[in-house]
Amino acid sequence: MALNPYETPRGKMRARAEATRRQFLMIMGGLAAAGASLFGGIEVLKFMFPQASGNAPALFKTSFTFAALTGGVVSGKAVTPVNVLSETDKRVTVVLDDAGIYAVYLVCTHLGCTPNYVTDVTTGSGVAPTVAEARGVRTASQRLPNGWACPCHGSRYFIDSTNFYGPAPRPMDWVNIEVTPDGFFAVDRGTLVATRGPGDNTPPPWRLLVSTQKSNGKTYGV
Amino acid sequence: MSATPDQANPVRAFVAQLWGSVFRHGLPTNDKVAARTALTNFFLHIHPVRVKKSAVRVSYTLCLGGLSFFLFILLTITGLFLMFYYIPSVDTAYQNVSDLQFVAVFGDIIRNMHRWAAHAMVITVWLHMARVFYQGAYKPPREFNWVIGTFLLLITLLLSFSGYLLPWDQLAIWAITVGTNMAKYAPIVGPYTRYLLLGGDQVAQGALIRFYVLHVIALPLVGFLLMVVHFWRVRKDGFTGGL
Repeated sequence: MALNPYETPRGKMRARAEATRRQFLMIMGGLAAAGASLFGGIEVLKFMFPQASGNAPALFKTSFTFAALTGGVVSGKAVTPVNVLSETDKRVTVVLDDAGIYAVYLVCTHLGCTPNYVTDVTTGSGVAPTVAEARGVRTASQRLPNGWACPCHGSRYFIDSTNFYGPAPRPMDWVNIEVTPDGFFAVDRGTLVATRGPGDNTPPPWRLLVSTQKSNGKTYGV
Repeated sequence: MSATPDQANPVRAFVAQLWGSVFRHGLPTNDKVAARTALTNFFLHIHPVRVKKSAVRVSYTLCLGGLSFFLFILLTITGLFLMFYYIPSVDTAYQNVSDLQFVAVFGDIIRNMHRWAAHAMVITVWLHMARVFYQGAYKPPREFNWVIGTFLLLITLLLSFSGYLLPWDQLAIWAITVGTNMAKYAPIVGPYTRYLLLGGDQVAQGALIRFYVLHVIALPLVGFLLMVVHFWRVRKDGFTGGL
């Protein structure tokens, strides 16, 4: 179609040429508007995802010391056989049992609330207290039916984070801990050392050893 | 009662002109004036000029759409009052809400009106939708208005959800933790949706300001625009009349 201004079509041809030019501009304008909307929309979406989040750091130092948890170490064994100390606002609990120390990330696997520490976790659940004792803080001398109960929808967990009641689909995850040079625990909520799927009731083997203050490296499911 | 300019008294003439500029017609004395009164008044023109007698029976619509709109107006006004005291900061939000209840005169009433009207609006919107559905009032030519109505239901629920977080008490924080974790279960977009809502991975300051902006500006604005179209279509399509 001749659009050369020095060769202006006449009559019917002129009308067609004009219509074509109008259509061309409509298409170009439409494409420009669509393109601007598309890329503008993408940028608006990116605007809502900040480059740096205001999240609390994954790594933090506990307010309690290694000595406070263990009661001191005598010939490679903790003086206190069983202990549970928690940083509830940071959603981590540190548990000491006969095999060593581990940290559970207290985020209910159902919908993310923080479960509460309870001393008799089987109450009203229909589960025999002996089951909880068997799965409680594992020492030869002391087996406690303590655990975690979620206040939101009533999920219950044994102390090793294994779920046994309520809507929680799987056990809570374990996170990495180290002993800092000044004797506290450095908890890294970004590094999982044991994660279990639905129905996996195996107690994870990972421990921070009391004697060496080093991890045994036995990660589970990660 | 259309005002005639009184040449003898300039003050009366001015008042008459002022009145006449706002109200173009007097009180209706017959059907024709009534129709013109409705047509020339911004607030009245939303209502149909002619309505079937059967359609104005309260027992037909139960006035549920009107009640929803009334509650929306009530929520806008009471919400405006709440905004004079409320600061969307994790350090102050809970204290501000306490101040509203115990320091501000009538603050407790205003806050409770907002709270109960919000609950009531969710109920009336549901009932309105059910009424429209059971009477088949969603059928052509009103199917477009039904679709707008479903979006208005969504806006109502999102307003309710976003307002839930603002008191920043334990119930609010954990309810939003649960709600946004539910959003996370959606395939592919779930985690992004949660991050988008919270502005992070936890219910913290980023979440509070986002929910606040959604609650006081974004959602009411979208809701208002949809309502304008919704009422306009009711006006154009008319009422369904008796069964």
